[in-house]
Amino acid sequence: MSHSHNRRTPHRWNPHRTVSARLPENRRANRALDTRSPPAAFRTTTVIVVANPCLFTTIAFTPLAVKPHTPSQLRRALFPAGFVALFLTSSAFAADSASKVSFLNEIMPLLAKAGCSSGGCHAKPEGQNNFKLSIFGYDPKADHREIAADGRGRRLSFAAPQQSLLLLKATAAIPHEGGARWTVDSETYRTVLTWIRQGAPFDPPDGPRLQHIAVEPRNPQLAPTQDAQLKVTATYTDGAKRDVTNLALFTSNDKDLATVSDHGLLSASERRGEAVVVVNYMGAVDVVRPVVPPAKRLQQRDFAPFPVHNHLDSLVHQRLEKIGVLPSGTCSDAEFLRRSALDTIGRLPTTEEARSFLADTAADKRLRWIDTLLADPAYADHWAVKWGDLIRPNPSRVGVKPVFLLDQWLRDAFARNMPYDAMARALLTAQGSSHQLGPVALIRDKRDPLDASSFVSQIFLGVRLECARCHHHPSEKWSQEDHQQLAACFSKLRSRGQGISAPISGEAELWWYDSSARGLLHPDTSAPITPKAPDGPEFPLRAGIDPRTDLLDWMVRPDNPFFARAVVNRVWGEFFGKGIVDPVDDFRASNPPSNPELLDWLAADFIAHRFDLKHLMRTMLASAAYQRSSLPNASNLDDQRNFARSLRRRLPAEVLLDAVCDLTGVRESLAGLPPDARAAQAWNHKLPSEFMDAFGRPNASLECPCERERKPTVVQSLHLMHASALQTKLASPTGRAARWAASKQEPQDLVNDIYLAAFARHPTAEETAAASAHLAAPAADSPARKEAVQDLVWALINTAEFVFNH
Amino acid sequence: MRPPLNCNGIGRRSFLQLGFGALGGLSFTQLLQQRALAARSGIASPKAKATNCILIWLDGGPSHYETFDPKPDAPADIRGEFKSIPTSVPGVHFCEMLPRLAKNAHKFAVVRSICHKDPNHGGGNHYLMTGAPTPVPVGCGAFVSFHPSMGSVVSKERGVRGGVPAYVSLPSMSRSGGPHFLGSQHAPFVIGGDPNQAGFRVRDVTLPADISEGRAHSRLALRSSLDRMERIQESIAEDPLTGFDQSYQQGLSLLSSEKAQAAFDLSKEPDSVRDSYGRNDFGQRLLLARRLAEVGVSFSVAQWGGWDHHRGIFKTFKDGTADRLDQGLSGLLNDLEQRGMLDSTLVLCLGEFGRTPKVNKDAGRDHWPGAMSVFMAGAGIPGGIIVGATDPKGYYASDNVYSPEDFASSVYTKLGIDPHQVLHAPGGRPVQLINGGKLIKELFA
Repeated sequence: MSHSHNRRTPHRWNPHRTVSARLPENRRANRALDTRSPPAAFRTTTVIVVANPCLFTTIAFTPLAVKPHTPSQLRRALFPAGFVALFLTSSAFAADSASKVSFLNEIMPLLAKAGCSSGGCHAKPEGQNNFKLSIFGYDPKADHREIAADGRGRRLSFAAPQQSLLLLKATAAIPHEGGARWTVDSETYRTVLTWIRQGAPFDPPDGPRLQHIAVEPRNPQLAPTQDAQLKVTATYTDGAKRDVTNLALFTSNDKDLATVSDHGLLSASERRGEAVVVVNYMGAVDVVRPVVPPAKRLQQRDFAPFPVHNHLDSLVHQRLEKIGVLPSGTCSDAEFLRRSALDTIGRLPTTEEARSFLADTAADKRLRWIDTLLADPAYADHWAVKWGDLIRPNPSRVGVKPVFLLDQWLRDAFARNMPYDAMARALLTAQGSSHQLGPVALIRDKRDPLDASSFVSQIFLGVRLECARCHHHPSEKWSQEDHQQLAACFSKLRSRGQGISAPISGEAELWWYDSSARGLLHPDTSAPITPKAPDGPEFPLRAGIDPRTDLLDWMVRPDNPFFARAVVNRVWGEFFGKGIVDPVDDFRASNPPSNPELLDWLAADFIAHRFDLKHLMRTMLASAAYQRSSLPNASNLDDQRNFARSLRRRLPAEVLLDAVCDLTGVRESLAGLPPDARAAQAWNHKLPSEFMDAFGRPNASLECPCERERKPTVVQSLHLMHASALQTKLASPTGRAARWAASKQEPQDLVNDIYLAAFARHPTAEETAAASAHLAAPAADSPARKEAVQDLVWALINTAEFVFNH
Repeated sequence: MRPPLNCNGIGRRSFLQLGFGALGGLSFTQLLQQRALAARSGIASPKAKATNCILIWLDGGPSHYETFDPKPDAPADIRGEFKSIPTSVPGVHFCEMLPRLAKNAHKFAVVRSICHKDPNHGGGNHYLMTGAPTPVPVGCGAFVSFHPSMGSVVSKERGVRGGVPAYVSLPSMSRSGGPHFLGSQHAPFVIGGDPNQAGFRVRDVTLPADISEGRAHSRLALRSSLDRMERIQESIAEDPLTGFDQSYQQGLSLLSSEKAQAAFDLSKEPDSVRDSYGRNDFGQRLLLARRLAEVGVSFSVAQWGGWDHHRGIFKTFKDGTADRLDQGLSGLLNDLEQRGMLDSTLVLCLGEFGRTPKVNKDAGRDHWPGAMSVFMAGAGIPGGIIVGATDPKGYYASDNVYSPEDFASSVYTKLGIDPHQVLHAPGGRPVQLINGGKLIKELFA
């Protein structure tokens, strides 16, 4: 790359011009450049000529083969072509940087837009065909090196820029698996070509950097099938603005409602509703929410028939009014009774509870029942199972005893209704022996601070920083620094003892804060990393203060944007079948809450009530929104995000197993638990159980054990149909089927009792007729009657009404 | 594109229907009709000719020296106790412990040059079962899942055929044999137990012992009259009961398919055939796998644990291990050939890696991913070929070296599945089914 060549390059980097407005000028620029092309003799890049006057064409191939003649040649010989360019531009010619094509601000966006740096192509972990880019361009320096220097420098030809492999491949002039990404007469081609002619420099350190992007219009209102043009404006650190619409990436979260073209043209479908469009430009993210308003505007009076039990309902109705959706009616008493019991304490209402609740005529009976549930001892077990899914380590990794102690600690915390902020503090700042204090199991498991960072952000902040561990999140602002700085909060710890020793980790390990611990060092610079909360303050290290304490102080502050919202949303997801943000632990700009006002109010109310989980649950359970029917109406048929109807959910494995045990009156015997224990009391996901395996437990060996599979499988239906364990329960002489069979009750009364036990409701007349005919055929107390009762209970267990919470 | 909605209100009954008579409830007569239909149609679906796969997994990592890649000229501390023997293919030698396979060498291929770098069971299993290395090092005892297994992908591509699951694993799921993000409906259908035992039954697929067929029918009839919860018929409402009904229906098809039921019953097989596989759990599992392939199971894994021969490898081989492998594999090969099934059945036998060249102080061999031998037959694979080679002492694959990605790409291609397709994990993250991976060209000659 020659000095004079650089100088004469016309002014190109002008962010004030839009992409389209730049076209004619660039054509001129290219013509001008063409006249200065290297002599034809040097266009061939494969010939290596020692001491060639045009040395730079060959250096990258075999730097050591070149015999340097002058100091500048020596300098070139020591560095691959890209570094030479970097060196030159960042020192002698920094003043000229404004006249150059910017790698960061022009080339990288072009590669991203063309899909080169997508995960399916050159940004795969191993690259594609030996050419590897960082995913979504999170590592521009590495990408520059890869393009300009690596591959023995063969990707760029400075002698014959048009013969550069990069351009030949991208235009499919030579075979390219990814096909043609742009054409020779395109703007993109010319920009890349110019950049190569300029020596393919990296941006100078003081060059302008992207600061943020803004998309207009913010909330476009569209009629069905109407289009609207989005405009994306990038703002740079030097204050310059530039239209980057053609270079941004657009993603619609609901392509059935609205699609966006590569050029930002938004197109509404025939449907109505609200979509979210995420716009990403080089790591900067903005979100717009196009709305196709309902054909018929709903009025407040349209909501008059639907009750409002508390402020939560007002907020839900406000949202429904806006999108033109009417809620379903109120569910029956029986549905409420069964649904609330399964959701709150993980068990079926008993026959007696169902009988008396259904007979109760008091207006406040649902509220009283909610209080009964929240006071039930099974509450602690049910929520310990849920939290066990989230935080329970693999016992084969951290040891059986620590996992058991953590489990007992959780059950105790829920039994005492420990405030959630205190719970988080105890779990995340624990120190001591893994064999004495349950929460120590967490730090024993997440002993790598980077693991702790991923864990704490996802579970307690609802933010998946884990993605940022490897690369900048594709549609989010989180960076590796965010992940590392949160990790640094967990780096001033020391441990003594056995460590992790697969397969059992049988010995105790002691963990404690030590201000003299080395802490986390930056992987590249080895400088200590200052602890910092994501989007929050730094916690400068000071003697005697565990940065974990700083972190927790920040988390539980009333103005913390993550902590309360994350748990409120998680609990909401349990009761309503879908989070306000969904998935419940994936808060990000590109996955906004369906009802932000609702989420904000719930979080504020939760904080105002001192992080009282039972208060939060009572608010949800008492709402009209929770007590809706699961049957849709015409307006909410296709809506699952706005809580206009109750969503049906298959019972989780433990709950379903306990329900089967309750209905048959025979407990499942589980290894490591007392004989009368419930499945909800299992402290370990690995206890052998064919039933729970079939219906899905978290797998502690998976990357993220917290996901539970809710999809039905043929294995499940076969297990319900034919498991010999189920038949053994049905036929048990001490089970309920045997007692029902021996009862002197009339068949229709028996049927009533069995229905109350299974469905918490009375049977309809038709059901009574069908079921009692089945029971009445054989004589009371005969072996055939026993079988008839077993068959009836079997049939009910195999219905959707039993297997689902509805 | 979803259909436009009629916002003026559509009748509730038009999309709600009582469960009674809906898909979930199947009357006794319907069941009988279905059974008759299933019997008539058999498995003669257009896809019936698609290639199926039986993958035999020797868990722990079989030694290449003591199987298909003996090194008779290596020093004694490398070549081990056993001699090599000639095979039916001139110039090709196997370990003397596999005489039957040596006689049948012209019927199958051995790839001696697959290798990788993960010396742990967890990582090696993941690499070979899914075609993807683990993104982070995992411990030896690990059961990890970072990528869908080949069986789960086949299940997703093929779906249920003839009422039988697409992916079956015997007698347990291999460590990384799960579906990962494809979802539990593509997890293997696990058939536990020992099919060599007299009273062997496939759990949950046959009626519990004290339930007669008549009683089972009356139960189903009762159920269908009582399963009355309203289904939301419009698919736009995404009623999860739809999936429940479908999987219940699949369960019923499996029960009502006489062929599927018969496939699970090894006692229907003549003694001579059962004997040819070896009267042991491994041999009978291979026989069961063949019966399953016959009725449309697309991908079966037969697991055999205990191949982690850190000590006493020669004694273990002599005490029956080698004989069972030799007999079972030859029995399967010959049986498939005689039934004309070999062209449409891909048979694979491998473990997570080979074993160390130097025999250790306990007369065992340790983990060694630098070389391994993979048995491949059927599905048009030329018989009698040896693909690649290791160096003279068996340390490393040296000629025509292939990776687990190449192996998985070849398997997928043989099964008619594009190994370079892009799958999408929840959240839309694109995932290459196989990252790179070229075909093992010798298998496609």
